[in-house]
Amino acid sequence: MTVIDAARSVRSRSRLDPALVASIVAALLFLAAAIVPGALAPYPPTALALDGALEGPSLAHPFGTDQIGRDLLSRVIFGTRESLLIGFGAAGIAIVAAVVLGSLAALGGRVVSAIVGRLIEVVFAFPILLLALLLVSILGPSAWTQVVAVGVSTAPGYARMVRGQILSAKNAGYVEAARALGHEPWRILRNHVLPNAIRPLVAVFAMALGQSIVWASGLSFLGLGVAPPSSEWGALLDAGRAFILQAPWLTFIPGLIIVVFALAATTIGTRIQRSLEKGE
Amino acid sequence: MTSLRARRTLVAAAGAAMLSLLSGCAHAAAAGPAEDDDTIVYAHQQEPQCLFGGWIEQAYVSYQFLDNLFSLDATGEAVPWLAEDWSRSDDGLTYTIELKPGVSFTDGTPVDAEAVAYNFDYWVAGGNSTAQVWLGGYYESAEAIDDVTVEIHLSRPYTRFIENLTQSYFGIQSQHALETRTDEENCRAPIGSGAFVVEEWNRGENVILTRNDDYTSAPANAQHDGPAYVKRIDWRFIPEGITRVSALKAGEADAIYDIPAVEWADIDEGGYELHKYVTPGRPQQISFNTTRAPFDEEDVRRAFILSLDREKIVGAVGYGVIPYEGNGAISRATPGYDEEAAERYTFDPDEANALLDAAGWDERDEQGYRIRDGKRLEAVFPYDAGTIINADGASMFQAVQEQARETGFKVDLIPVAASDTWSGAYSTPDSYDLKAGYWTSVNAGILYINWRQSTEDDPNYANSAFYDDPELEALIEQANSAADTDEQNALYGEAQRYIADHATSFGLYDRLSTLGVSPRLTGVWQEHAQGGPTFYDAHFVD
Amino acid sequence: MTLTSSTETTAPAGIARAARGGRRLVLRLVGAVVVLWGAATAAFLAQIALPGDRATAIFNIRAGQAQERTPEELAPIVDAFGLADPVFLQYLHYIGGLLRGDLGTSYQQFRPVWDLIGEQLAATLTLTLAGIALSWILMVGWVTLTAGRGGRFRNVGAAVDTVAAALPPYWLGILLLLVFALWLGWFPVMGGSGLVGILLPALTLAIPLAGFMGQSVRAEYERTLDQPFVLSARMRGMGDLSVRLRHVLRHASLPAVTLTGWALGATISGAVIVEQIYSRPGIGKTLVSAVGAQDLPVVTGVVVLVAALYVVANLLVDIAYTLIDSRLKTS
Repeated sequence: MTVIDAARSVRSRSRLDPALVASIVAALLFLAAAIVPGALAPYPPTALALDGALEGPSLAHPFGTDQIGRDLLSRVIFGTRESLLIGFGAAGIAIVAAVVLGSLAALGGRVVSAIVGRLIEVVFAFPILLLALLLVSILGPSAWTQVVAVGVSTAPGYARMVRGQILSAKNAGYVEAARALGHEPWRILRNHVLPNAIRPLVAVFAMALGQSIVWASGLSFLGLGVAPPSSEWGALLDAGRAFILQAPWLTFIPGLIIVVFALAATTIGTRIQRSLEKGE
Repeated sequence: MTSLRARRTLVAAAGAAMLSLLSGCAHAAAAGPAEDDDTIVYAHQQEPQCLFGGWIEQAYVSYQFLDNLFSLDATGEAVPWLAEDWSRSDDGLTYTIELKPGVSFTDGTPVDAEAVAYNFDYWVAGGNSTAQVWLGGYYESAEAIDDVTVEIHLSRPYTRFIENLTQSYFGIQSQHALETRTDEENCRAPIGSGAFVVEEWNRGENVILTRNDDYTSAPANAQHDGPAYVKRIDWRFIPEGITRVSALKAGEADAIYDIPAVEWADIDEGGYELHKYVTPGRPQQISFNTTRAPFDEEDVRRAFILSLDREKIVGAVGYGVIPYEGNGAISRATPGYDEEAAERYTFDPDEANALLDAAGWDERDEQGYRIRDGKRLEAVFPYDAGTIINADGASMFQAVQEQARETGFKVDLIPVAASDTWSGAYSTPDSYDLKAGYWTSVNAGILYINWRQSTEDDPNYANSAFYDDPELEALIEQANSAADTDEQNALYGEAQRYIADHATSFGLYDRLSTLGVSPRLTGVWQEHAQGGPTFYDAHFVD
Repeated sequence: MTLTSSTETTAPAGIARAARGGRRLVLRLVGAVVVLWGAATAAFLAQIALPGDRATAIFNIRAGQAQERTPEELAPIVDAFGLADPVFLQYLHYIGGLLRGDLGTSYQQFRPVWDLIGEQLAATLTLTLAGIALSWILMVGWVTLTAGRGGRFRNVGAAVDTVAAALPPYWLGILLLLVFALWLGWFPVMGGSGLVGILLPALTLAIPLAGFMGQSVRAEYERTLDQPFVLSARMRGMGDLSVRLRHVLRHASLPAVTLTGWALGATISGAVIVEQIYSRPGIGKTLVSAVGAQDLPVVTGVVVLVAALYVVANLLVDIAYTLIDSRLKTS
């Protein structure tokens, strides 16, 4: 490698993608808010101030106050832990279920893969919201229900992806070569097929995280979420709707937070995916 | 060649899609009448499943096309409507009602004594669950003496019987329609003798009511008689308060229901006519489950009430529009309201703390909640999120939760999804400690429904405090059958003070029915039985 | 003479291909039926698993008061809807009804579910299709304009795609309503009928979908721009816009066509939320209220119908895909 090549590679590495930098900073802020909300928030999230209700953003209250005088910034910060847990939980369930189902569908015998494949199609045919609604009715509205409902409803999409990945990995050139060389099918699976199929999932998990938060907040928007005085972001957005003419920031800001988080997660995920592809 | 054909097919497909879109839209446009001075566009909030039934949302609509026997005037007195005259026997067990002659239902059949008697039996047999609740235990039978005279027989005297019949639950429907049509038809377009007729119902969108041109049976407290002024009412269903308010401001709606408290000042200053009706009956109150800890002890209940600055909460969330109600049994708009019972408890956290300490709840855990013998002072508070409790109510409950925490109560607020509410979840004695709810009623007779004991033979699931007290029940029954209204009010008052003394429930606010009306429209008023809008006298002015 | 000989040589091959295609079609249909049956059964089971008593729920909704009910009060309802029958009998009843095309009678509205859903389905479908159509227009326009151009243009294009795809419909919808209907007054506030009323709701659905499709299409688009046949078209003197629209778009839109099948399901979910925000009628509201009332016939009716639509849509998408793809192969 010449000096010029080395310099070029250093330059390309140091030409940091501003979107990625912003996303990482945002992610760190969110994590901090989830782990030590008390350190970041200026007020306790449930502190009432019946005389200072519906105040607009100001120095004392950067995000304004709600209808019983609670500081919105503090509520958003304290709501981060719950929102992130729900998002992680849902994305986790979705990915795990996807890996299990996708593997069965791709690798199982003809009967098993046919059944599992059909099962995936059946669940996929349900609009996400309908499935979530049914689950909420059975389990009762709570954070856990949101996790399960969103996780289960979004799993089929990823299951199909996993199945596709495994199938293409199974039929890839190097697998054929390994087979021709006489390696055991189980070893081929373990050493070649699965790793190549699973590796992209890290990126998918990041993107799933973004999507899960959006769907979970959607459930809260319909009033099927966590109980008050929880300040989960979707619940905040729903609560603010009644005051949109007088205090639009109550709805606008929680929604913006959700969008920022989804963007950060998706950006990090796609960057990882891109670098993995380049690596291959 | 092939690419051109492909493009043409795509364009053709897109064109077909657009055509179907437009035709779909044209159909939708035909669904509602064009806006004109002959049509009132009214944005209501909740859509019922049938246009007649035991829910107040059904009463609001059915009031437009059903006549009652009596109408309630502004002073709470019953005045003639379909009934011209009536009398009560000395023992109070027989009511003789004289009907206005010559009135017909819109299907042509006459409004006669037989039809009226039929309606009574129909309600009690399940035709209207709320009418059933009001008549239960008192109504025996109805008899047509001649074409225009009906006799109602009661098993026990019921002093406010006539006044109760002014609610639209007791609207008179055509017997012929009830007997010969399917349930579906009677659900979709009930037939009465009212000023309007149900023309069509586009589910999820609106109900179109058209004028009954042969209308002759206006209530005595209406502003005119004869047919209504406007030709049509476009009764729309818009669940979002903000959308209704914006529609009124934009001129898309001529009248709207339920203005959110936060928008009140804006509407007022905008020159719109505001109507406010405080619903009589049970206010929006919170009952304690008196059968289990922690609220099986009277002192603990009192301490809870004293921890709350209810007036401030209601003032802040309600912007001074929603009336604070201290009385836990009936609202201030109800005849027989007792002021003393309302003022029994004020905000006194010191007293609350003292009571709790004395009751043995004198230790606190790390989070600040009181504990006794290792158990936390915890209360489960489920509430129906959406249909019965609106956003303002939910905000108030959160404030209650926060204020109760100061004195050491841990309140678990549980918003209950509609499916669970309607299927009776959180309705049994082992499932909650606090329960909120209201019940509309023209007088304090609601006490009988809410506080009657629940027994094996005659369970009373409306007694949300599960408070079975024979003394209270006897008091209420005495009041129900009292000889005159003064005696009745005195007895009802005693019952309210009893309830307050034993702290079985406490009031939060009175349920409001609000209407916003465009300055172009005049003659809209709220009927006095339940506060629903009536458009019979309404017309446009320019 | 020549004709007969050519048909003689190609006939067996043609028949074999047709037989293969036919068998594939039959398999797809069987698969579709299995999916539908699975969806209906799952919905039925879920309804049975719902807590609480169905008869009580129906009674309470009609009365507007949520409390326990006595058996006497509930008896007429239980009889009318066969709620006391053993579960398996109810299930057989229900499947039998589905096969006859009878979706049952709504518990609450006393009329056939088919009627109920039919009137509402049109509204939601119109909204969904309008949303998908609008998203295609947005996506095609945006990608055509911004793909494969100089650095900044391209980055902005991609960034807008990503942001748009991340916008939740409930947030976007409220914002659009607030700005364009409440503040500016350009659009009606109460779900107006006609094109004007459907534009904002459809836009709310279209923007995130356009962003999502745009992401895959953009990558494909840029890849295609470098293909030799595009270069040759340019060398033949074809204008830039012409090249982009006639040649590149067809190739690049393949992933979007596949996504459109999936988009139908996702957009219906979005439509439920959008119907709430803009106060529009549709199956979303019907569904939420039916689940709340445990109105089993309505819920299963909607589920089966939507599943059927989804299956049909995917079949159509597959056909469209092969059409476009085969045209590409032959051109």
